Amino acid sequence: MTTSRQVLLLVGSARRPRSTSEALGSYLLERLAEKGFGTETLLLHRALKSGEKREALLEATDRADVLVVAFPLYVDSLPSLVIRALELIADHREGGDQSRPQRLLAIVNCGFPEAQHNDTAIAICRRFAREAGFEWIGGLSLGGGGAISGRPLAEAGGMARNPIQSLELTAAAIAEGGALPEEAVEAMARSIIPSWAYRWMGWFGWRQQARKHGVQRQL
Amino acid sequence: MRVTILDGTRGGRKAEADAREVLISELEGQGWEVTTYPLREMEIGHCVGCFGCWVKTPGECVIVGDAASDLAPAVVQSDVVVYLTPVTFGGYSSELKKALDRLICLLAPDFMVIDGETHHKTRYERYPRLLGVGLLDSADPESERIFQTLIARNAINMHSPVHVAGVLHSEQGTAGMRAEVQQLLNEVGGTQ
Repeated sequence: MTTSRQVLLLVGSARRPRSTSEALGSYLLERLAEKGFGTETLLLHRALKSGEKREALLEATDRADVLVVAFPLYVDSLPSLVIRALELIADHREGGDQSRPQRLLAIVNCGFPEAQHNDTAIAICRRFAREAGFEWIGGLSLGGGGAISGRPLAEAGGMARNPIQSLELTAAAIAEGGALPEEAVEAMARSIIPSWAYRWMGWFGWRQQARKHGVQRQL
Repeated sequence: MRVTILDGTRGGRKAEADAREVLISELEGQGWEVTTYPLREMEIGHCVGCFGCWVKTPGECVIVGDAASDLAPAVVQSDVVVYLTPVTFGGYSSELKKALDRLICLLAPDFMVIDGETHHKTRYERYPRLLGVGLLDSADPESERIFQTLIARNAINMHSPVHVAGVLHSEQGTAGMRAEVQQLLNEVGGTQ
């Protein structure tokens, strides 16, 4: 925890026991740990629960050299608990000493097959970085997050090939002190499943789940 | 004509109170039936992304007993829904967003394609027009551009037949905000 380079992952999904946001963020942190970074992960739905935990969140943010915010797209934007965390962090940093460079990147995944749904959320994160005094190093945008469905990327087979490539490139860029290369951004945004197949998978999956609860006719 | 205001202001700021008062008085002055939800005063848990509102209790959130259960019917039965919020990093405040995240029950889980993009299908025959009213101390083109885009994207996903977004600035004063609100209401159809 006291290495010279510390990375903090904030996971913005409340889904348990596993989420695609955490799977993506964890893969990146594992690569960074291999490169000598100290790593820390906070699940925001727990980290915001009490004043004491919120204080711990702010202290962890202060310690971080690199902040990674990973979350699912909710209604074209960040989930409310992620916005709440960013509001707290921005308020905490306002007027403070920001002479130590701290970098920020966002990893957004959405339940639509097209990654461009995430563009507005990425723009909000970029703006947060500017207002809160972080150096923005880029945003990664994954479409079709439902196809990963919270599995660790190493267990997700071919679906995870593009995200893994992207996160490997991202880890290398962070270790070198640079911004995310365009190649990493493009690899994450590359379709992991054809849109028609994803829509079909959704149609089938929703019915399968609804049938368990006897409500398939009410979908 | 019914309008539902989802008030996502964080409280404690005079400019926000002024903007809210201007908005309500202009709407009521035009004969609208206005219901305001002061979200910061409401116990609303955050959406946990379980999709229970689609596959367990279709059309209703599975979280029961908090104040969000009133919101979905109020919104979908309105002619206009207003998102009132301080522009927060270009987007919505967490107070507004905690309510919006709980409204996906208004949509059906199945997908449809709109302009080449995948979106969720409708659950209801009609959806309200959407008016986004952002609040800033002064003009900020980048923030306002993000806010406008976010409202436009929400309108697609929520199947709003009309959407309008505007940003009020504290430095405009009450008279300036009133003129801006009147213009927004004209655009969203408030005078029709």
